Amino acid sequence: MHDLSLYLLDIIENSVRAGATRISVGVTVERAADSLEITVEDDGPGLPVTPHEALDPFFTTKKGKKTGLGLSLFRQAAEAAGGGLSVGRSADLGGAFVRAWMGLGNVDRPPLGDVAASIFTMVATNPEVDFVVDLADGDKRTSLRGSELPQRLPALVAYQEALT
Amino acid sequence: MADKITSPDQLLARAQKAQADLDLRQGRKDTQVTVHMGTCGIAAGARDVVATFMTELSAAGVTSASLHQTGCAGLCEEEPMATITLADGTMYRYGLLDKDKVHTIVTDHLVGGTPVDAYLIKT
Repeated sequence: MHDLSLYLLDIIENSVRAGATRISVGVTVERAADSLEITVEDDGPGLPVTPHEALDPFFTTKKGKKTGLGLSLFRQAAEAAGGGLSVGRSADLGGAFVRAWMGLGNVDRPPLGDVAASIFTMVATNPEVDFVVDLADGDKRTSLRGSELPQRLPALVAYQEALT
Repeated sequence: MADKITSPDQLLARAQKAQADLDLRQGRKDTQVTVHMGTCGIAAGARDVVATFMTELSAAGVTSASLHQTGCAGLCEEEPMATITLADGTMYRYGLLDKDKVHTIVTDHLVGGTPVDAYLIKT
């Protein structure tokens, strides 16, 4: 994967494939703490396996496959950048919860990439899913949701450009 | 592949175009274009393939097809892939896609009605 936006896209795809109808994405930057955090949570059925199994690259819930690389690759990238990745149950939506964190200024942190394109792709091809995107850069917070998302994506572009 | 969005104006233009073409992605049409977006597909460039299909379908005025995404089809070496499903259930699976191939598929297959044999996955 070239950048974080592709890992994010992969995690969102997991939620869609699990049958989620509400998906909440969060990108949070705390410059003072040198922290970048990405979260995805949904109202799907939740992880059918233990968190340990979910992060095992040789474990997958997909029939006919022997590997499940998405979460483990994301974890590897986050750990390489001084962070980590955890999975569990969403307290707000009841489904799966994925949280990745890493050092904002860590030299091994992948670039943020085109988060707007990842969000736009999933919104455009899954009109039945209610997406919410919450962005935070210190005290500056932006929330994009539902049908207004395509028109408000420029706010997301401005956010990601500020981090480049 | 599709140009990267480098300014809010560019994205807004794309978003407005997508809104105008809302019909393209509402419900399932007679013809379904499904881009495979498992981990392998995403790593190979599936996101740009979706964007290119969106642009090309719109530019060609195709209103009888809807655009969807799904996961890995188990042919990771053929990613990025897309499956075109016709009303009668006939499926055409295209692999190793790029911007030019998507243009040809939209023009020849979805508009012209002739599958692009050279890009079909042979299994």
